[in-house]
Amino acid sequence: MIGPSIKITGEVSGDEDLLIQGKVEGTVNLKNNEVVVGESGQVAADILGKNVKVDGKVTGDITGTESVVISKQGNVRGNLVAPRVLLEDGAVFNGSIDMNPTEAGGKSAAKEPAPFPAQENKAPRLDVKSG
Amino acid sequence: MEQSVQENQHSSLLAPLFEHIDLDRRLTVLNIGPALPETVSFFSQYRCRLYFEDLFNELPTLYRQHKEPEDEMAAKQQFIESMRFPDETYFDLCLFWDLFNFLDREVLSAVLEVLQPHLHSDSRAHGFAVHSLRTEQSGKIFGIKSADQISMRSRGAKLPGYNPYNRGQLEKLLTCFSVTRSVLLPSSRLEFLLTARL
Repeated sequence: MIGPSIKITGEVSGDEDLLIQGKVEGTVNLKNNEVVVGESGQVAADILGKNVKVDGKVTGDITGTESVVISKQGNVRGNLVAPRVLLEDGAVFNGSIDMNPTEAGGKSAAKEPAPFPAQENKAPRLDVKSG
Repeated sequence: MEQSVQENQHSSLLAPLFEHIDLDRRLTVLNIGPALPETVSFFSQYRCRLYFEDLFNELPTLYRQHKEPEDEMAAKQQFIESMRFPDETYFDLCLFWDLFNFLDREVLSAVLEVLQPHLHSDSRAHGFAVHSLRTEQSGKIFGIKSADQISMRSRGAKLPGYNPYNRGQLEKLLTCFSVTRSVLLPSSRLEFLLTARL
Protein backbone atom coordinates (compact mmCIF):
# COMPACT_ATOMS: atom_id res chain seq x y z
CA MET A 1 0.00 0.00 0.00
CA ILE A 2 1.05 3.55 -0.71
CA GLY A 3 -0.25 5.48 2.29
CA PRO A 4 -2.05 8.81 2.21
CA SER A 5 1.01 10.85 3.18
CA ILE A 6 3.32 9.18 0.61
CA LYS A 7 4.20 10.81 -2.70
CA ILE A 8 6.04 8.82 -5.36
CA THR A 9 7.46 10.22 -8.56
CA GLY A 10 8.69 7.67 -11.11
CA GLU A 11 7.84 4.08 -11.99
CA VAL A 12 5.98 1.82 -9.61
CA SER A 13 6.35 -1.83 -10.60
CA GLY A 14 6.41 -5.22 -8.91
CA ASP A 15 4.61 -8.48 -8.48
CA GLU A 16 1.93 -7.88 -5.88
CA ASP A 17 -1.40 -6.14 -5.57
CA LEU A 18 -1.31 -2.43 -4.80
CA LEU A 19 -3.58 0.04 -3.01
CA ILE A 20 -2.70 3.68 -3.66
CA GLN A 21 -3.99 6.12 -1.04
CA GLY A 22 -1.26 8.71 -1.63
CA LYS A 23 0.07 10.54 -4.66
CA VAL A 24 1.82 8.92 -7.61
CA GLU A 25 3.27 10.68 -10.63
CA GLY A 26 4.89 8.64 -13.40
CA THR A 27 3.81 5.12 -14.29
CA VAL A 28 2.28 2.17 -12.46
CA ASN A 29 3.15 -1.14 -14.06
CA LEU A 30 1.62 -4.17 -12.36
CA LYS A 31 0.40 -6.15 -15.33
CA ASN A 32 -0.45 -9.32 -13.42
CA ASN A 33 -1.88 -7.71 -10.32
CA GLU A 34 -4.81 -5.79 -8.92
CA VAL A 35 -4.40 -2.03 -8.65
CA VAL A 36 -6.78 0.03 -6.53
CA VAL A 37 -6.61 3.81 -6.39
CA GLY A 38 -8.21 4.47 -3.02
CA GLU A 39 -10.51 7.35 -2.15
CA SER A 40 -7.64 9.58 -1.09
CA GLY A 41 -5.41 8.42 -3.96
CA GLN A 42 -4.30 10.96 -6.56
CA VAL A 43 -2.53 9.49 -9.55
CA ALA A 44 -1.07 11.41 -12.47
CA ALA A 45 0.28 8.39 -14.28
CA ASP A 46 -0.51 5.72 -16.80
CA ILE A 47 -1.61 2.55 -15.01
CA LEU A 48 -1.23 -1.01 -16.25
CA GLY A 49 -2.80 -3.75 -14.16
CA LYS A 50 -4.87 -6.92 -14.43
CA ASN A 51 -7.91 -5.46 -12.70
CA VAL A 52 -7.82 -1.76 -11.97
CA LYS A 53 -10.31 -0.04 -9.67
CA VAL A 54 -10.48 3.70 -9.18
CA ASP A 55 -12.11 5.17 -6.08
CA GLY A 56 -9.94 8.31 -6.18
CA LYS A 57 -8.61 10.57 -8.89
CA VAL A 58 -6.56 9.54 -11.92
CA THR A 59 -5.21 11.65 -14.75
CA GLY A 60 -3.65 9.29 -17.24
CA ASP A 61 -4.36 6.24 -19.35
CA ILE A 62 -5.48 3.03 -17.66
CA THR A 63 -5.05 -0.42 -19.17
CA GLY A 64 -6.66 -3.39 -17.47
CA THR A 65 -5.83 -6.75 -19.00
CA GLU A 66 -9.09 -8.02 -17.47
CA SER A 67 -11.13 -5.04 -16.29
CA VAL A 68 -11.29 -1.41 -15.27
CA VAL A 69 -13.86 -0.21 -12.75
CA ILE A 70 -14.49 3.44 -11.88
CA SER A 71 -16.46 3.57 -8.66
CA LYS A 72 -19.02 6.19 -7.67
CA GLN A 73 -16.34 8.33 -5.99
CA GLY A 74 -13.88 7.85 -8.88
CA ASN A 75 -12.77 10.63 -11.20
CA VAL A 76 -10.72 9.76 -14.29
CA ARG A 77 -9.44 11.85 -17.17
CA GLY A 78 -7.66 9.69 -19.71
CA ASN A 79 -8.11 6.73 -21.97
CA LEU A 80 -9.23 3.32 -20.79
CA VAL A 81 -8.37 0.05 -22.49
CA ALA A 82 -9.86 -3.17 -21.14
CA PRO A 83 -12.06 -6.05 -22.25
CA ARG A 84 -14.54 -5.04 -19.54
CA VAL A 85 -15.13 -1.50 -18.32
CA LEU A 86 -17.61 -0.65 -15.59
CA LEU A 87 -18.66 2.82 -14.47
CA GLU A 88 -20.63 3.00 -11.27
CA ASP A 89 -23.36 5.57 -10.74
CA GLY A 90 -21.73 8.89 -9.92
CA ALA A 91 -18.36 8.11 -11.49
CA VAL A 92 -16.83 11.01 -13.43
CA PHE A 93 -15.01 10.14 -16.62
CA ASN A 94 -13.68 12.15 -19.52
CA GLY A 95 -11.69 10.49 -22.27
CA SER A 96 -12.04 7.41 -24.41
CA ILE A 97 -12.84 3.79 -23.66
CA ASP A 98 -11.51 1.07 -25.91
CA MET A 99 -13.63 -2.01 -25.45
CA ASN A 100 -13.32 -5.41 -27.00
CA PRO A 101 -15.82 -7.79 -25.44
CA THR A 102 -14.49 -10.74 -27.45
CA GLU A 103 -11.34 -10.58 -25.29
CA ALA A 104 -13.26 -10.71 -22.04
CA GLY A 105 -12.76 -13.97 -20.19
CA GLY A 106 -10.20 -15.18 -22.68
CA LYS A 107 -10.54 -16.37 -26.23
CA SER A 108 -12.72 -19.32 -25.27
CA ALA A 109 -15.41 -16.94 -24.13
CA ALA A 110 -15.21 -14.95 -27.32
CA LYS A 111 -18.46 -14.46 -29.14
CA GLU A 112 -19.71 -12.32 -31.94
CA PRO A 113 -21.05 -8.95 -30.86
CA ALA A 114 -24.82 -8.73 -30.69
CA PRO A 115 -26.29 -7.19 -33.82
CA PHE A 116 -27.99 -3.87 -33.41
CA PRO A 117 -31.67 -4.66 -33.58
CA ALA A 118 -33.54 -3.69 -36.68
CA GLN A 119 -35.86 -0.75 -36.35
CA GLU A 120 -39.08 -1.73 -34.66
CA ASN A 121 -42.14 -1.46 -36.79
CA LYS A 122 -43.58 1.06 -34.39
CA ALA A 123 -44.90 4.38 -35.67
CA PRO A 124 -43.31 7.45 -34.06
CA ARG A 125 -45.60 9.89 -32.32
CA LEU A 126 -45.18 12.36 -35.15
CA ASP A 127 -42.62 12.83 -37.86
CA VAL A 128 -42.11 16.53 -38.31
CA LYS A 129 -41.31 17.45 -41.88
CA SER A 130 -40.23 21.01 -41.26
CA GLY A 131 -39.33 23.34 -38.41
CA MET B 1 -21.04 13.49 -8.32
CA GLU B 2 -23.96 11.32 -7.28
CA GLN B 3 -26.24 10.90 -10.27
CA SER B 4 -29.97 10.90 -9.78
CA VAL B 5 -32.66 8.33 -10.43
CA GLN B 6 -32.76 7.06 -13.98
CA GLU B 7 -35.86 7.22 -16.17
CA ASN B 8 -36.09 5.64 -19.59
CA GLN B 9 -37.83 6.97 -22.67
CA HIS B 10 -38.58 5.09 -25.86
CA SER B 11 -36.76 6.42 -28.90
CA SER B 12 -37.77 5.51 -32.42
CA LEU B 13 -34.62 7.17 -33.79
CA LEU B 14 -31.96 5.07 -32.07
CA ALA B 15 -32.65 2.05 -34.27
CA PRO B 16 -32.13 3.98 -37.55
CA LEU B 17 -29.04 5.54 -35.98
CA PHE B 18 -27.54 2.09 -35.54
CA GLU B 19 -28.90 0.27 -38.55
CA HIS B 20 -26.03 1.11 -40.90
CA ILE B 21 -23.38 -0.05 -38.45
CA ASP B 22 -20.90 -2.57 -39.82
CA LEU B 23 -20.08 -4.88 -36.92
CA ASP B 24 -17.01 -6.21 -38.71
CA ARG B 25 -15.39 -2.85 -38.02
CA ARG B 26 -14.54 -1.28 -34.70
CA LEU B 27 -17.18 1.29 -33.95
CA THR B 28 -16.07 4.79 -32.96
CA VAL B 29 -18.56 6.80 -30.94
CA LEU B 30 -18.50 10.35 -29.60
CA ASN B 31 -20.74 11.07 -26.62
CA ILE B 32 -20.96 14.77 -25.88
CA GLY B 33 -21.99 14.69 -22.27
CA PRO B 34 -21.23 12.94 -19.03
CA ALA B 35 -20.32 9.27 -19.08
CA LEU B 36 -23.28 7.36 -17.71
CA PRO B 37 -22.98 3.73 -16.58
CA GLU B 38 -25.79 2.57 -18.86
CA THR B 39 -24.16 4.09 -21.95
CA VAL B 40 -20.88 2.33 -21.19
CA SER B 41 -22.73 -0.87 -20.47
CA PHE B 42 -24.69 -0.66 -23.74
CA PHE B 43 -21.62 -0.14 -25.90
CA SER B 44 -19.60 -2.73 -23.99
CA GLN B 45 -21.37 -5.40 -26.06
CA TYR B 46 -19.57 -4.11 -29.13
CA ARG B 47 -16.02 -3.78 -30.28
CA CYS B 48 -15.78 -0.03 -30.04
CA ARG B 49 -13.98 3.06 -28.93
CA LEU B 50 -16.18 5.39 -27.00
CA TYR B 51 -15.17 9.03 -26.50
CA PHE B 52 -16.76 11.03 -23.71
CA GLU B 53 -16.41 14.81 -23.85
CA ASP B 54 -18.62 16.51 -21.31
CA LEU B 55 -18.95 19.92 -22.93
CA PHE B 56 -21.99 20.63 -20.73
CA ASN B 57 -19.58 20.77 -17.82
CA GLU B 58 -17.69 23.58 -19.57
CA LEU B 59 -20.77 25.78 -20.12
CA PRO B 60 -20.59 27.65 -16.77
CA THR B 61 -17.04 28.72 -17.63
CA LEU B 62 -18.01 29.61 -21.20
CA TYR B 63 -20.88 31.83 -20.11
CA ARG B 64 -19.34 33.36 -17.01
CA GLN B 65 -19.69 37.16 -16.96
CA HIS B 66 -16.51 38.44 -18.57
CA LYS B 67 -15.24 41.94 -17.88
CA GLU B 68 -13.26 42.23 -21.11
CA PRO B 69 -14.11 41.03 -24.63
CA GLU B 70 -10.71 39.29 -24.71
CA ASP B 71 -11.74 37.21 -21.69
CA GLU B 72 -14.88 36.14 -23.51
CA MET B 73 -12.83 35.18 -26.56
CA ALA B 74 -10.42 33.23 -24.36
CA ALA B 75 -13.34 31.36 -22.74
CA LYS B 76 -14.69 30.41 -26.16
CA GLN B 77 -11.24 29.28 -27.26
CA GLN B 78 -10.85 27.18 -24.12
CA PHE B 79 -14.25 25.61 -24.72
CA ILE B 80 -13.33 24.64 -28.27
CA GLU B 81 -9.90 23.37 -27.26
CA SER B 82 -11.46 21.04 -24.72
CA MET B 83 -12.64 19.11 -27.74
CA ARG B 84 -9.53 17.75 -29.45
CA PHE B 85 -9.32 14.26 -30.88
CA PRO B 86 -6.38 12.25 -32.14
CA ASP B 87 -5.63 12.46 -35.86
CA GLU B 88 -7.15 9.65 -37.89
CA THR B 89 -10.13 9.43 -35.53
CA TYR B 90 -13.37 9.15 -37.47
CA PHE B 91 -16.67 8.99 -35.64
CA ASP B 92 -19.33 6.59 -36.84
CA LEU B 93 -21.82 7.95 -34.33
CA CYS B 94 -22.02 11.30 -32.55
CA LEU B 95 -24.41 11.68 -29.61
CA PHE B 96 -24.94 15.40 -29.13
CA TRP B 97 -28.01 15.14 -26.87
CA ASP B 98 -29.27 18.71 -26.30
CA LEU B 99 -25.89 20.46 -26.58
CA PHE B 100 -26.82 22.67 -29.52
CA ASN B 101 -29.50 24.37 -27.39
CA PHE B 102 -26.73 25.85 -25.27
CA LEU B 103 -24.35 27.11 -27.95
CA ASP B 104 -24.55 30.48 -29.66
CA ARG B 105 -24.07 30.48 -33.40
CA GLU B 106 -20.38 31.35 -33.23
CA VAL B 107 -19.52 28.58 -30.77
CA LEU B 108 -21.72 26.06 -32.58
CA SER B 109 -19.93 26.85 -35.82
CA ALA B 110 -16.54 26.43 -34.12
CA VAL B 111 -17.57 23.10 -32.61
CA LEU B 112 -18.58 21.81 -36.03
CA GLU B 113 -15.31 23.04 -37.50
CA VAL B 114 -13.38 20.95 -34.95
CA LEU B 115 -15.60 17.95 -35.57
CA GLN B 116 -15.74 17.96 -39.36
CA PRO B 117 -12.27 16.44 -39.96
CA HIS B 118 -13.35 13.55 -37.75
CA LEU B 119 -16.45 12.65 -39.73
CA HIS B 120 -16.79 10.34 -42.70
CA SER B 121 -19.48 10.20 -45.33
CA ASP B 122 -21.46 7.58 -43.39
CA SER B 123 -21.25 9.27 -39.97
CA ARG B 124 -24.56 9.60 -38.17
CA ALA B 125 -25.58 11.70 -35.20
CA HIS B 126 -28.40 12.12 -32.75
CA GLY B 127 -29.60 15.11 -30.80
CA PHE B 128 -32.46 17.14 -29.37
CA ALA B 129 -33.81 20.52 -30.41
CA VAL B 130 -37.16 22.17 -29.77
CA HIS B 131 -40.31 22.57 -31.77
CA SER B 132 -41.25 25.82 -30.05
CA LEU B 133 -38.54 28.29 -29.10
CA ARG B 134 -40.39 28.91 -25.83
CA THR B 135 -39.66 25.36 -24.69
CA GLU B 136 -37.82 25.32 -21.37
CA GLN B 137 -34.57 23.42 -20.94
CA SER B 138 -35.12 19.79 -20.07
CA GLY B 139 -32.74 19.76 -17.10
CA LYS B 140 -31.77 16.21 -18.01
CA ILE B 141 -28.60 14.35 -18.80
CA PHE B 142 -28.95 11.57 -21.32
CA GLY B 143 -27.56 8.15 -22.05
CA ILE B 144 -28.40 4.98 -23.94
CA LYS B 145 -30.17 2.26 -22.04
CA SER B 146 -30.85 -0.03 -24.98
CA ALA B 147 -31.16 0.11 -28.76
CA ASP B 148 -34.56 1.75 -28.44
CA GLN B 149 -34.42 3.44 -25.06
CA ILE B 150 -32.79 6.66 -23.95
CA SER B 151 -32.02 7.04 -20.27
CA MET B 152 -32.54 10.36 -18.54
CA ARG B 153 -31.40 11.66 -15.19
CA SER B 154 -32.03 15.01 -13.59
CA ARG B 155 -29.15 17.43 -14.06
CA GLY B 156 -29.88 19.35 -10.89
CA ALA B 157 -29.00 22.99 -11.50
CA LYS B 158 -30.03 24.61 -14.78
CA LEU B 159 -27.25 25.31 -17.23
CA PRO B 160 -26.36 28.78 -18.53
CA GLY B 161 -26.55 29.80 -22.17
CA TYR B 162 -29.87 28.14 -23.01
CA ASN B 163 -31.00 29.52 -26.35
CA PRO B 164 -32.66 26.68 -28.24
CA TYR B 165 -32.97 26.19 -31.98
CA ASN B 166 -35.83 24.69 -33.92
CA ARG B 167 -35.36 22.30 -36.82
CA GLY B 168 -35.31 24.99 -39.50
CA GLN B 169 -32.62 26.98 -37.71
CA LEU B 170 -30.53 23.90 -37.06
CA GLU B 171 -30.71 22.83 -40.69
CA LYS B 172 -29.05 26.11 -41.63
CA LEU B 173 -26.48 26.01 -38.82
CA LEU B 174 -25.38 22.39 -39.04
CA THR B 175 -23.09 22.82 -42.00
CA CYS B 176 -21.62 19.32 -41.90
CA PHE B 177 -24.85 17.43 -41.15
CA SER B 178 -28.26 17.04 -42.74
CA VAL B 179 -31.31 16.47 -40.59
CA THR B 180 -32.68 13.23 -41.99
CA ARG B 181 -35.49 12.64 -39.55
CA SER B 182 -37.07 14.25 -36.55
CA VAL B 183 -39.72 13.22 -34.08
CA LEU B 184 -41.82 15.49 -31.92
CA LEU B 185 -41.63 14.54 -28.25
CA PRO B 186 -43.73 15.62 -25.29
CA SER B 187 -43.03 19.13 -23.96
CA SER B 188 -42.47 20.36 -27.52
CA ARG B 189 -38.99 18.87 -27.70
CA LEU B 190 -37.67 17.49 -30.94
CA GLU B 191 -35.48 14.43 -31.32
CA PHE B 192 -33.49 14.34 -34.54
CA LEU B 193 -31.24 12.11 -36.58
CA LEU B 194 -28.38 13.58 -38.61
CA THR B 195 -26.28 12.27 -41.47
CA ALA B 196 -22.89 13.72 -42.33
CA ARG B 197 -22.84 16.14 -45.23
CA LEU B 198 -19.22 16.46 -46.32
